Amino acid sequence: MSIKKEPDVKELLSCYHCGNDCDNSPIHFDEKIFCCEGCSLVYDILKENNLCTYYNFNNSPGTSQKKSTYKEQFAYLDDEKIKNKLVRFTNGKITSITFYLPQIHCSSCIWLLENLNRINPAIIKSLVNFNRKEATLTYIEEKVSLRQLVEMLSMIGYEPSINLNDSEEKKNSGDKKTTAYKIGIAGFCFGNIMLFSFPEYFSSGSYTGDGFKGVFSYLNFALSLPVFFYCSSQFFVSAANSLKQKFLNIDVPIALGILVMFLRSSYEIISGTGAGYMDTMAGLVFFMLIGRAFQNKTYETISFERDYKSFFPISVMIKKNNNETSIPVSDLEIGNRIIIRNEELIPADSVLIKGDANIDYSFVTGESMPVLVWEGQLIYAGGKQLGTSLELEVVKNVSQSYLTQLWNSSEYKNKNEESSFRQLVNRISHYFTIALIAIALASLGWWVSQNDLAKGLNAFTAVLIIACPCALAISSPFTLGNILRSFGRNKFYLKNYSVVEKLAKVDSIVFDKTGTLTKTNSSQISFTGKILNPEEKKMVRSLVHHSSHPLSRMLDEKLNDVSAIKSENYYEIPGKGIQANVFEVPIKIGSAEFVGVKTTPDTSSVKIYVSFDSKIRGYFSINNEYRQGIEILVGKLKQSGYDLTVLSGDHDGEKNNLETIFGREVSTHFNQTPADKLRFIQALQAQNKNVLMIGDGLNDAGALKQSDVGITISDNINNFSPACDGILNASSFDSLPGILKISEASHRIILGSFAIALLYNIVGLFFAVSGTLSPIIAAILMPISAVTIISFTTGLSNWYAQRKL
Amino acid sequence: MTIEKFSYDNRIVKNFAFATILWGIVGMLVGLIAALQLTNPAYNLAPYLSFGRVRPLHTNAVIFAFVGNGIFMGLYYSLQRLCKARMFSDLLSKIHFWGWQFIIVLAACTLPLGITSGKEYAELEWPIDILIALVWVIFAINMFGTIIKRRERHLYVAIWFYIATVVTVAVLHIVNSIELPVSLIKSYPIYAGVQDALVQWWYGHNAVAFFLTTPYLGLMYYFVPKAANRPVYSYKLSIIHFWALIFLYIWAGPHHLLYTSLPDWAQSLGIVFSIMLIAPSWGGMINGLLTLRGAWDRVREDIVLKFMVVAITAYGMATFEGPMLSLKSVNAISHFTDWTIAHVHIGGLGWNGMLTFGILYYLIPRLFGTQLWSKKLANFHFWISTLGILFYAIPMYWAGFTQSLMWKEFTADGILKYPNFLETVVQIVPMYKLRAFGGFLFLSGAIVMAYNLIKTIRSGNLLPDEAAEAPALSSLEIEHAGKSHWHRWIERRPVQMLLYSLVLILIGGLVEIVPMLTIKSNIPTIASVKPYTPLELQGRDIYIREGCYTCHSQMIRPFRSETERYGEYSKAGEFVYDHPFQWGSKRTGPDLAREGGKYPDSWHYNHMLDPTTMSPGSLMPAYEFLLNKNLDISSTPAKIRVMQKLGVPYPENYDAKANDDLIKQANKISENLKKEGVVVRSDKEIIAIIAYLQRLGKDIKAEKTNQ
Amino acid sequence: MSIIILLIIFSLILAVGFLIAFIWSVRTNQMEDDYTPSVRILFDNELIEKKDKQEHTNTDI
Repeated sequence: MSIKKEPDVKELLSCYHCGNDCDNSPIHFDEKIFCCEGCSLVYDILKENNLCTYYNFNNSPGTSQKKSTYKEQFAYLDDEKIKNKLVRFTNGKITSITFYLPQIHCSSCIWLLENLNRINPAIIKSLVNFNRKEATLTYIEEKVSLRQLVEMLSMIGYEPSINLNDSEEKKNSGDKKTTAYKIGIAGFCFGNIMLFSFPEYFSSGSYTGDGFKGVFSYLNFALSLPVFFYCSSQFFVSAANSLKQKFLNIDVPIALGILVMFLRSSYEIISGTGAGYMDTMAGLVFFMLIGRAFQNKTYETISFERDYKSFFPISVMIKKNNNETSIPVSDLEIGNRIIIRNEELIPADSVLIKGDANIDYSFVTGESMPVLVWEGQLIYAGGKQLGTSLELEVVKNVSQSYLTQLWNSSEYKNKNEESSFRQLVNRISHYFTIALIAIALASLGWWVSQNDLAKGLNAFTAVLIIACPCALAISSPFTLGNILRSFGRNKFYLKNYSVVEKLAKVDSIVFDKTGTLTKTNSSQISFTGKILNPEEKKMVRSLVHHSSHPLSRMLDEKLNDVSAIKSENYYEIPGKGIQANVFEVPIKIGSAEFVGVKTTPDTSSVKIYVSFDSKIRGYFSINNEYRQGIEILVGKLKQSGYDLTVLSGDHDGEKNNLETIFGREVSTHFNQTPADKLRFIQALQAQNKNVLMIGDGLNDAGALKQSDVGITISDNINNFSPACDGILNASSFDSLPGILKISEASHRIILGSFAIALLYNIVGLFFAVSGTLSPIIAAILMPISAVTIISFTTGLSNWYAQRKL
Repeated sequence: MTIEKFSYDNRIVKNFAFATILWGIVGMLVGLIAALQLTNPAYNLAPYLSFGRVRPLHTNAVIFAFVGNGIFMGLYYSLQRLCKARMFSDLLSKIHFWGWQFIIVLAACTLPLGITSGKEYAELEWPIDILIALVWVIFAINMFGTIIKRRERHLYVAIWFYIATVVTVAVLHIVNSIELPVSLIKSYPIYAGVQDALVQWWYGHNAVAFFLTTPYLGLMYYFVPKAANRPVYSYKLSIIHFWALIFLYIWAGPHHLLYTSLPDWAQSLGIVFSIMLIAPSWGGMINGLLTLRGAWDRVREDIVLKFMVVAITAYGMATFEGPMLSLKSVNAISHFTDWTIAHVHIGGLGWNGMLTFGILYYLIPRLFGTQLWSKKLANFHFWISTLGILFYAIPMYWAGFTQSLMWKEFTADGILKYPNFLETVVQIVPMYKLRAFGGFLFLSGAIVMAYNLIKTIRSGNLLPDEAAEAPALSSLEIEHAGKSHWHRWIERRPVQMLLYSLVLILIGGLVEIVPMLTIKSNIPTIASVKPYTPLELQGRDIYIREGCYTCHSQMIRPFRSETERYGEYSKAGEFVYDHPFQWGSKRTGPDLAREGGKYPDSWHYNHMLDPTTMSPGSLMPAYEFLLNKNLDISSTPAKIRVMQKLGVPYPENYDAKANDDLIKQANKISENLKKEGVVVRSDKEIIAIIAYLQRLGKDIKAEKTNQ
Repeated sequence: MSIIILLIIFSLILAVGFLIAFIWSVRTNQMEDDYTPSVRILFDNELIEKKDKQEHTNTDI
């Protein structure tokens, strides 16, 4: 273990646990400084349990604990139904469960999470998978409950993100393994077959005679069996399928080549007429399997196929004759009374019974400003309550809720994902195959006409062998694979390959305003009216400081350069405003009517009026803040000749700001409902435009789906909107032009690699038709072509990525 | 299933560490002696410490004693911690330790006595071979036992390297050591000539691969991250590194026999696989170095890291040079010269030596719960040994080039520029002196380290059992991976794998060997090649005993420069009766394949008495004692019988008559010598050795005259 | 040169042995996590009572 260096002066200001700035109110504890109670609490726990080594691997490895949690948060984990969905294994005594812990970010995390049993001995074993941000805990059932476990985790700052998707088994790990086996076996056989082919290659030497070649070629035959029957099976399957559809895809010539190679080689070996091409065959299969593996590897981005359930809480508190129990959301019925707490998502459309509802619909609409809802009004599923807890009555089943409807509606159904590159490959291979067979037959015919049937057959098979388009097959997976990786490095994640080429075709880009061009949660607060002096600021803060209303909290943050002071007869009217006396001065802060402003306020932005001694002093207006670098971004895109449009869900108050950024020629549309946005895209496509839609919230989902490419901007890739082809992390928003450029480049690269591949085939064909293809030529040509393609595509695509991103 | 308390066995690690230090110094000292002997023959203390006996002593000491113990030291330390388990059995650990030291002592006694099987890096005689096999199996059981009762589910990549080492070395050792005993201290390998050569270098190369490389890679993957306290640069790469290396290494062997009478394709095979080895090797090196990325400032202070960096760099150089040397064109120059010596010492001193030092500096303070006694001394050690390597390698490269070029240089009118081999030797003696100096520096560095570590040990005290705790690895985790029984069964796979492969190998071995003994080898026989006469056979055994093969090759490669100098190039068929083959790998003296009849018997007599009289400036030790030592002919019948068993076509019951023929031939030679004015009794060893030398290459010449 | 056959048999047995080992390692998810183990080995699982024993100076990972 390493010893922590004493934090130097600079560090002193940042939280010992999470490294955040302890702005105005640092907490001193154990000669260390913490930004909040949460952090110091975690530190305390770790200290008690001799886990301070945690702090030795990294400086302030913790995550901020400012997020509020409450006692009952994980009550639902006591529900057997839910529990059984989540645990991986249990035998009644010992249980093991895998949590997804998005907070895992450094070696300290690994260390702490793998030493949990010091905090609670009931945890026998904990194993972290860093790449997956997962921890698998094995614990003794009777000593600790799942709920306690989760609470303990969130107490030390690793709150598991639990949703129903996690309970579903991980797929594709099975066929990942199969690929691994296949590669292993193919590689093994390839190596050894090459080995035993050496006498053939270099038999020129002093040494022939003693029946090695016999023995060796039989060994080769034996080794080739697993390659042919096991490793190469998938190519035959796919070839068969494509033939069923009366189409010749890339796997047809490949399968044909492998088949011919195997048959001819077997014949040669058994008849003792030659050594065969087993080495080439094995190598070919080996390389193509690697290609496939590479392909699968790049597919392994975040699972896009989450559905709305995964954004919902697993369970919800329902109130039955005055006692609260938690039930799985799926069991929710119309008429249920549900309790929704601060920060909780409303799972089904329901009516507010009682409580001060500040609903943040940003998840649905992308609009971050909370909406006030009155008792008796409808609250849509997907909204998030801010503030005190609510009691609601469910009016629609989860499955019929607005959100869910939106989700399941027709335009969400996947459009055809067939990659046009694959189409291109297949188109090429279609003619390729035909040409191939033609040449093969032709050369056969010619030699027969020379009454040399033997040579004819030789040529015929040789053509099919040498032209086996291995290189052709691996060129596009490697190019696109590498491009996807370089995107990934820039926090841009795509659903699949096909998106890259769709991006290449894009000619018009549609932006959603809220949450896309503007930041989701940070806002600019400006005061209009006579500037407040420090004293007055103090007074204002002393009020808002005590209110839990999100707007109050914003103001409180804004004014944190002054300290709050004591206020008398504080009174808050939910959804309207606050009033109290400071220094005997009655102060009102709140909505226009509450403060007593007559003028009908323009709705361009939220305004919080302030009055001292019932004299209106002015108002704080809260505007969305635009993301950095938008101007430059827009500039670049205009240069590249894309036509841009902005759609916004909310009122046109921002029109001017937008025009300053985008310029007048860019059309902007406001008060767009999800359906409007969708129709707009369709309209563009009707003018056969290839549309790139960039949005966030679920309200864009329809449009995102409809557009040729839908990209979601997200500050946290772990909670993106589902209906998109890609996610772009907000921090790298400005790399969009580069991304588009690279996508175009990829097309050229692939065509280039095709050219090379074909070149090799032609060279090979020359030997083949002349009937002079020796195993060694085949054995050299095949791997070389494969390697050139791989290095060509990899090198070039990475080079582009370097330059453009 | 609960948290289990247990403790790591540090005592065994300490023992191996001490052994490493001790044998390291001994081995290097012997190396220094050998180096000095090559600067001036006077340093040869015949018979026991003549170069021919010292050189095997050196190689065996540094490889099996120094590096061997180094491997076990690092492995016993890291394996326990990687498996979160104490070694399987303390008793086995002890047996392993003392058994191995006993073997080393035996080697140290037998080799100077000239008890050798005459195969490089496998000189030890059959009883010791068996002992080695036994101790190795014990070690294997101990290791796999530990792996099975491990508490950490994942086998860290280092463990894979260890497994590869244990299994492969066992196989190599057994295959290469199949020999028929003549007496307790004498045996003949069952393979002859080309076949023996192929097995020998299949073994020889893989000894390098799986004794000097894979285990040390394992150590690198454990100790470098530990010392740097940062994870290895890319764990994925390390896994690929392992599997690639494993599947390539085993076949690189034949590159040691380029241009020999080995089939072309087998040579090409050696080349190709050697070339392919660059990829994984460099993968490993880069992985090792990049582990320290962003920590170079620490490398400057941390002595352990310093040693490791040099070690890894040396590994990179050696693994690049190796494949290059296996290219025919390069090999044509390098082979038989000091270039090879330089190459192996880059690996030996740089990779193995420096990494071992690094590990020692890391381990000792931890084992004894203290700090290193003197950083200054450690730094001194680092610089002096780095300097030592340079002083060793550079002159050797130089010597290699110079000599090789001189060998190959022709005058304008097409005759050898340096027809006298000796000229090419005298030329490089200064280089040998520098080399000795380099060796001296390296050795003194090691001694400084020993002192420093002893002081360190004094300042602390060993904690023999280091307490630790970890949850047991129950079947549970396996179960919810599904298919529990199947998994639990396959969990035990590693050990079964070992047993199976060993059993299979023994069976396969028998199946193959029995027919080979019965049916005559299918080498294209040369009619005129006849078995050695009893006297020549005895002479040959003296030749082997004195380790002449360490300086004299018996393999003329098909180059004009060589055929000009030595005569007709060597054919596979010539060696069918050579148990073991004596091709050699280094020409400090000239090739002897065509020595027969070049000089009169008396020349050889005088040359043995004092080489410098016949060839002034020769580096060859004097073998005066051969003149006075009586030839022990009691062993002749047994030797003949064994040879017959190995398929050498001596007539029926020849063993009975053998000694009569021997005496006849001996008398003839002694009379012959008398004519040339040398008086020597016919029962002296000199007679036998002369008989053998005069036989070399005769058969081929006979062939010529026949046609 | 029947020896070559012999060597091949031995080498093949070895190679097959390792192939089995490879399959075993895939099957038992040895290669599932290709990062965490490399960090894990850095943790000496020291005991609470004498926790700061093995500590030695070095900076952060």
